[in-house]
Amino acid sequence: MNAAVSRPIPGSMSNAAYEQRLRDAVMDAASLLNARLLPVSVRSAALNKALAAGLPQLRDDLWRYADLKFLASAALAPVPVASTDVLAAAVAPSLPPRLAGYTRLVFGDGRLLPTLSDPCPALDLSSAPLVPDRTRHERFGWLNDAFATDVARLKIGDLQRVEVIFIATPGVSRQAVYPRLEVMVAANTELVLVERHIGTTGAQGLINTAVQIHAGAGSQVRHLRWLAMDDDAQFLDTTQIAVDRDARYQLTLLQLGARTARSSLRASLYGVGAEFTLHGVVVAGGKRTLDNSLLVDHLAPNTRSSQVFRAIAHGTTRIACRSRVEVHRAARGADSSQSLKGLLANAGAEIDLRPQLEILTDEVRASHGATTGALDENMRFYLLSRGLDEQTARALLEWAFLEDALRDLGLPELRSAAEHALAAALGSDIARQVVS
Amino acid sequence: MSTPLLSIKGLHVKVAEREVLRGIDLDLPAGEVHAIMGPNGSGKSSLSHVLAGKPGYAVTSGSVMYAGKDLLELPPEARSRAGVFLGFQYPVEIPGVNNAYLLRAALNAARRERGEVEIDAFDFLTLVKERMAVMKIDESFLSRGVNEGFSGGEKKRNEILQMLVLQPRLAVLDESDSGLDIDALKVVASGINSLRSPERAILLVTHYQRLLDHVQPDRVHVLARGRIVKSGGPELARELEQRGYDWLLEQAA
Repeated sequence: MNAAVSRPIPGSMSNAAYEQRLRDAVMDAASLLNARLLPVSVRSAALNKALAAGLPQLRDDLWRYADLKFLASAALAPVPVASTDVLAAAVAPSLPPRLAGYTRLVFGDGRLLPTLSDPCPALDLSSAPLVPDRTRHERFGWLNDAFATDVARLKIGDLQRVEVIFIATPGVSRQAVYPRLEVMVAANTELVLVERHIGTTGAQGLINTAVQIHAGAGSQVRHLRWLAMDDDAQFLDTTQIAVDRDARYQLTLLQLGARTARSSLRASLYGVGAEFTLHGVVVAGGKRTLDNSLLVDHLAPNTRSSQVFRAIAHGTTRIACRSRVEVHRAARGADSSQSLKGLLANAGAEIDLRPQLEILTDEVRASHGATTGALDENMRFYLLSRGLDEQTARALLEWAFLEDALRDLGLPELRSAAEHALAAALGSDIARQVVS
Repeated sequence: MSTPLLSIKGLHVKVAEREVLRGIDLDLPAGEVHAIMGPNGSGKSSLSHVLAGKPGYAVTSGSVMYAGKDLLELPPEARSRAGVFLGFQYPVEIPGVNNAYLLRAALNAARRERGEVEIDAFDFLTLVKERMAVMKIDESFLSRGVNEGFSGGEKKRNEILQMLVLQPRLAVLDESDSGLDIDALKVVASGINSLRSPERAILLVTHYQRLLDHVQPDRVHVLARGRIVKSGGPELARELEQRGYDWLLEQAA
């Protein structure tokens, strides 16, 4: 092995220290690690894999832009919740308005809060857990397998509209929370899923999410992921999506929160004709580090994927997106496109976009592009010359920059909710007017 | 004689250390239309941009007074709200910002400046549709992105439409005739003519005399190498059409 690869990232802890902290966390949380939720064998295997993988090392390309230094001091163990009803009463005022026609499930600090949730026949804890194979790219998913305290395990057998809200709190003592979502979508069914993350465990805490979704043959899934945690949240996320034959999976990502966030997403197109689209929007200011690593595996013939990713960085925020598409030998006739664009609102901001493409077969159509720059001066001057003030011109152009990532959201209620959230994130009354 | 609406005195301008305007003097009274003609590179577009406040143009000396104000002191948006309009030679496409929104925001910015309330949405639509009919622009345009996918001619008509909605006191039209076929030219010309009034003034920047057949100027100024080298009546434009610019350039050299 290259010696450089095993060198730790400066300022982070050693793998030995990490291992010790994980083992301590298991002891601390032992009474919370429910075996009915995930069998002991699964939890134990996951912990061992996490220990073997250790922390990402310097120059590991998969983790180059992730800010993981906080792990040296953040809590890794979940802590007990005195009463879910008390927690529910405490978080209720922070919940977003309801989406009409959606079944709502609310999880507080990684536990279902029944008093805030609707009855949901699709919620089925008796069915087998969905634990996908993970690689080092999904390494923090193993921690979730080991430490999850509850799960939104959904079996979707007919048309459903579901909203799952994960809200985190600083808790009574510093804590890690492990939101977990497992969804099995049966063949030829349709699901509209809204997944929201809000709140924070604070500067000493951790939110470590694992989402795994299986889209059965011929199914149609629209999935809106809405990451709107508080400004000091420390967020890790592992999302794995498997798409079977002729299924269509449309994922929209809105990332507006957290001080530091790393999201590792893998989409596996393993059935013939499977399709996956990602529309990602990241808007952030202040001093944040938001890192996204997207992997799309074309494993079967005639699979299609497209990614449209737009990021706006204000302040001294750093946004990264590595988007890798791999077309495997079996995936003849695959079609893939990637469009990544970044907008730097000011001099201190940073955006790193890296589209990557690896093709191991013939007869493939693939395109990719990435650009990062400041606002177009000619556009800005044009708007100013029509009497619009500086702030309005800027907000309008930022809005316009994001527009093609939102165009595909389709469902009016989601589009409207997303646009209002973005308008608020852009901090402009004018952007709000445009969407009202 | 009353004070001209626009008065330019001894204007020198540099772009990146290159002097593009080398002492412009020009008075444009309210009620008049003046044409600025000249060969490529003579400084016509630079003059338009300086009047609108485009960044990158450094005024090294001289003054520009507009309606009693020092125009050069005002940022671009304040110039617009005070009634100065630039019709761009190359209007930029802004996908994602729709035309209706821009028109309304621009109109309301000007109204607020004048202490008027924002225009009612229905009144706005009535106004815009009426002006769109003048400019022969299809209504579907309102929900499209600003200049998005427009042909060259459509972009120029859109500039004039914006002008008709905003009703500026001073319109500076930078080659609004270039790239137009004869039908579009007539539409653009009739739009410009409809703005003529005793309290407004129009500065037509053009390379050719063609537009001036349809919009009769009161005065014609010839710009060469950053200076006005000759001024005259409408007949000067016709003379330029016949003789070209070379004889003036030789005189100016």
